[in-house]
Amino acid sequence: MPLTGDENSDTGRVPVFGTWRAIYTSVIVANLVVMILIYVFSRFPY
Amino acid sequence: MSPLDWTVLFAYLTGIVILGYWVGRNNRKLDDFFLAGREMPWWAVGLSVMATQISAITFISTTAQAYTDGMRFLVVYFALPFAMVILCLTLVPFFYRAQVFTAYEYLERRFDLKTRTLTSLCFLLQRGMAVGVTLYAPSIVLATILGLSETTTILMMAGVTILYVLKGGNRSVIWTDVAQMGVIWFGIFLCLFIAVWNLPDTFSFRDALGLAQANGRLNVMNFDTSLETPYTVWAGLIGGLFLMLSYFGCDQSQVQRYLSGSSLKESRLSLLFNAFLKVPMQFLILLTGALVFVFYHFEKPPALFNPVAESRLRAAAPPDLGPAEARYTQAFEARKAAASAFADTRRQGGEGDGSALVAAQAEFNDARKGVVDVYKRTTGDQGYGDNNYIFLTYILNELPKGAVGLVIAVIFAAAMSTLSGEFNSLATASMIDFVRRFRAPGSGSDAGDLMLSRAFTAFWGGFAVLIALQAGRLGSAIEVVNRFGSYFYGSILGVFMLAIFTKRANGTGASLGLFAGMGTVAFVASTTKIHFLWWNVIGAIAVFVAGYLISLAVPTPAKTPSSDQA
Repeated sequence: MPLTGDENSDTGRVPVFGTWRAIYTSVIVANLVVMILIYVFSRFPY
Repeated sequence: MSPLDWTVLFAYLTGIVILGYWVGRNNRKLDDFFLAGREMPWWAVGLSVMATQISAITFISTTAQAYTDGMRFLVVYFALPFAMVILCLTLVPFFYRAQVFTAYEYLERRFDLKTRTLTSLCFLLQRGMAVGVTLYAPSIVLATILGLSETTTILMMAGVTILYVLKGGNRSVIWTDVAQMGVIWFGIFLCLFIAVWNLPDTFSFRDALGLAQANGRLNVMNFDTSLETPYTVWAGLIGGLFLMLSYFGCDQSQVQRYLSGSSLKESRLSLLFNAFLKVPMQFLILLTGALVFVFYHFEKPPALFNPVAESRLRAAAPPDLGPAEARYTQAFEARKAAASAFADTRRQGGEGDGSALVAAQAEFNDARKGVVDVYKRTTGDQGYGDNNYIFLTYILNELPKGAVGLVIAVIFAAAMSTLSGEFNSLATASMIDFVRRFRAPGSGSDAGDLMLSRAFTAFWGGFAVLIALQAGRLGSAIEVVNRFGSYFYGSILGVFMLAIFTKRANGTGASLGLFAGMGTVAFVASTTKIHFLWWNVIGAIAVFVAGYLISLAVPTPAKTPSSDQA
């Protein structure tokens, strides 16, 4: 039985981020920022 | 452990079993037992996905890796968020909308029955072995604390977990995982806090990071392009991406978690929840290992972290032990002095002599190796290794009363959350991809299927015990698990890539391609020193290329009506 409705579509509303595109972009950007921060952490002249 | 620690641990174990029984009391059919009625909220599924991946090995072995080698292991997780986005855009919508129980059902719809059966069988073999190693790691903890044999603790550990999974299936797995993740997060912060708290008053947190850095313990990013160098950034981003795509997209132990979401939206959010949290969490765990390394500059660590080995050596009392221990003590004192001088110089505005720290560490390592060599010569135990005992030794000796019990409970939580999810998924693949798929149409009842599913859960628990009893003969536990996985993960991902990205691939090509991929990985593993993270890439590409070419050569047979009952 095919599932329908916003809950099972690619266009429904996403909590906090609004759209799926926004949350996917946020995940990617956040991960890049985390990797940069970890790089800085490992090379920082303590 | 003190009575307070025992109370904490006992209260935790009892609470988890009661919770698992209570939430799973109303299971009536397979949908309830395997997919929790497909009604779970995203945050619960997300925590369960996370808990299933964090095993006791994560605590015991990765902290030890940071202690001995640095934080390079973190790169394995760098690609996880990217993999989550890719899966949310590709496999997850298909799995959810198709209302499948297992990931491998999709392969029958796309290809044929033999491809589904083959991949499901590969999952059963690989996961069945991996769950044994997952069980072995916490058994070390129990054996050390209780003074029991590892065999006894393995049986105890598996028994408690099987108990609540048998009763409540996936619903029990998910809700107990939620509770266990709460305990795990608390434990991570507690370990980190105590590791910092235990530093000498004259040694600041910044000094600790400086010392760890001077000894390479903060090294995370290695940009070496050699395929043989372990845990390079490239291996993490590329090999790790293939590993994570396979683990979260093709491994039933994870697919089953997010198929329990009440909608596609909930399933996707559960994975993205992990995408945000996984790397920071793993960073904190590894940082704890690096800080334990710093702490042991000021508190003499045992030369042999395994207390049983230590006792054997003391009992044998070989003549060369005295000189070896004297050198070890001297090296420790020299290293301690170098660390103190490092901090003193920095307090006076200098930079601290990192080269003196490195030299002192090298002498310390040699001195420790001298004691280990005496042990090996005396006992004949040439394969001795004690990395998995480092974090445990720190917990038992340095944490305050009550906290020891709590952190041991965290290790139990990590182990049980992984074991429960894996027992449940192994039972699901056995029941759905084999029993229900191959029996006569119309046979079987909900009650009978439920009973059989519980029997499979018990069977896989027993199988895990058998594997666990052999795991002690293998190397570092975390590497063993990943090695097992890497023989299969990339290859299975290659089959799903054929299914999604090509139209001409057929079941014969996919099935033979799978063998070609696993054969290629086995060949690469046995004839080269290419690091295992790359095996995932090699396996996936080998399957994809071989499967596609075979599909072109072998015509696709005409489709017959599916007899799929699952």
